[in-house]
Amino acid sequence: MTPGPALVSILRQGAYLIASVHTALDDSQMVRFQDDLIGEIGRARSRGVIIDVAALDVLDSFGSNTLRSIAEMARLRGAVTVIVGIQPDVALAMVKLGMGTGSVPTALDLEEGLEYLDRHVQHSPAASARGGERSR
Amino acid sequence: MPVSASPPADAGRQSEPPADVAALIPLVRRIVEARVGNHPAADDLVQETLVRVLAAASRVEPGLLEPYAIVTARNVIASLWRQADRQRRNQHRVVDLRPAEEPDEQVLAVEEQSAVAQALARLSDREREALVAHEVAGEDTHALASQTGSTPGAVAAQLNRSRARMRVEYLLALENADPPTERCRPVLLALSSGDRRRQREVDAARHVLECDLCARLSQPLMERGQQRDDEVHISVTSDADVVAARQGARELASRLGFRATDLTILATAVSEVTRNIVRFAGSGEVVVELVERPRRGVRVTARDTGPGIHDVEQALADGYSTNAGLGLGLPGARRLMDEFAVVSEPGHGTTVTMTKWLQEG
Ligand SMILES: [Zn+2]
Repeated sequence: MTPGPALVSILRQGAYLIASVHTALDDSQMVRFQDDLIGEIGRARSRGVIIDVAALDVLDSFGSNTLRSIAEMARLRGAVTVIVGIQPDVALAMVKLGMGTGSVPTALDLEEGLEYLDRHVQHSPAASARGGERSR
Repeated sequence: MPVSASPPADAGRQSEPPADVAALIPLVRRIVEARVGNHPAADDLVQETLVRVLAAASRVEPGLLEPYAIVTARNVIASLWRQADRQRRNQHRVVDLRPAEEPDEQVLAVEEQSAVAQALARLSDREREALVAHEVAGEDTHALASQTGSTPGAVAAQLNRSRARMRVEYLLALENADPPTERCRPVLLALSSGDRRRQREVDAARHVLECDLCARLSQPLMERGQQRDDEVHISVTSDADVVAARQGARELASRLGFRATDLTILATAVSEVTRNIVRFAGSGEVVVELVERPRRGVRVTARDTGPGIHDVEQALADGYSTNAGLGLGLPGARRLMDEFAVVSEPGHGTTVTMTKWLQEG
């Protein structure tokens, strides 16, 4: 853990992970966030991931690419990713820049993000049971 | 300290100060009053200064007595403040522990004076005379203009140039340095005079990136110049500087009344070009400035001393960035800004200049 206020937080909520970015991140912080989040998806055996980027000042080429690779890696680990909280002006700049979130789904806010996951994550009995097996 | 206390024993001069030192009294008084006002010690400071100038008069080159007096007055005033500080710290003590003057302070003062003398010696006779007449004898630009058959405006401009040269030569003398390249002096002069058009002509910013001496000297030169509040400089060496640059640009532009959307667009473009510096050059700088002409807006200049881009056209072409590393983000930044230009010299580095105009009304 780095000293000072946390730049990001990753919380478990049942089979989901909720990752929130709390401030502007530079590239190396962004990469660390990616590594931490992917690691946590594996440990928690999460089925869905919400990334809240409302506090990000910009989503430039590097930021957008990192979000895309997080989603791709999460998918390979069996988790669905949704990005929430992209501010309207950030979204406009992304479009002008020629970037986007690609095939990564986005939702307005946390609530909509959770709804999205509930609709798209298959809640097989095995999946819901997994939450209880975490500790082993 | 009474002035009559110790006229130097040298020469067959009378006990009155020699005429050239006596002539300095109004000047010294003006300097002292400007700095300490009606401080009870003001008279003492004037006298102390004159005593010191008298003591040194025989060693000071002719014509340099006035500048010597100016520097001396400043030193005397500075040591008064230091003494006052010490006295405050020591006032609870019964015994006065003040040393007469700290040795390093004396050394500094001597070095400073010799640097002033050297700097003055490097000015032309005309420059030196005008500068001394104005700064020291207090002649105004109208008087100087009528003496030389010039206009007050031209005299003022010439004085500004002379002062700028004086500062450059003073710093060079203080550093005891010879400029390593032919470009150094023109660059330092442009910085010293604060002439931004001239700074662009001699590409001062790039030279300062490349030349250690000019980098070092540019700081005091620009510090004393107008502290510009319509410009931010971010020196760029690491990832964190990318964030600093885009936030600096956003902050400055917000003062001009940019809409939130345009602020984010600007910040995104700055992020892209600054990242290029970190990735491909290692170090450089980003300058963000508010511009008035031809319209109000924000200009961003990103400079590096990296390997340069061999084919700028190709680097700006869409699709290039996704295949090769070099130039990543340039096409995107171009789409975000209103004006965009890249100048690159292989082996020397790259300069990206881009502007966002304020959408008014
Ligand atoms: Zn130089």
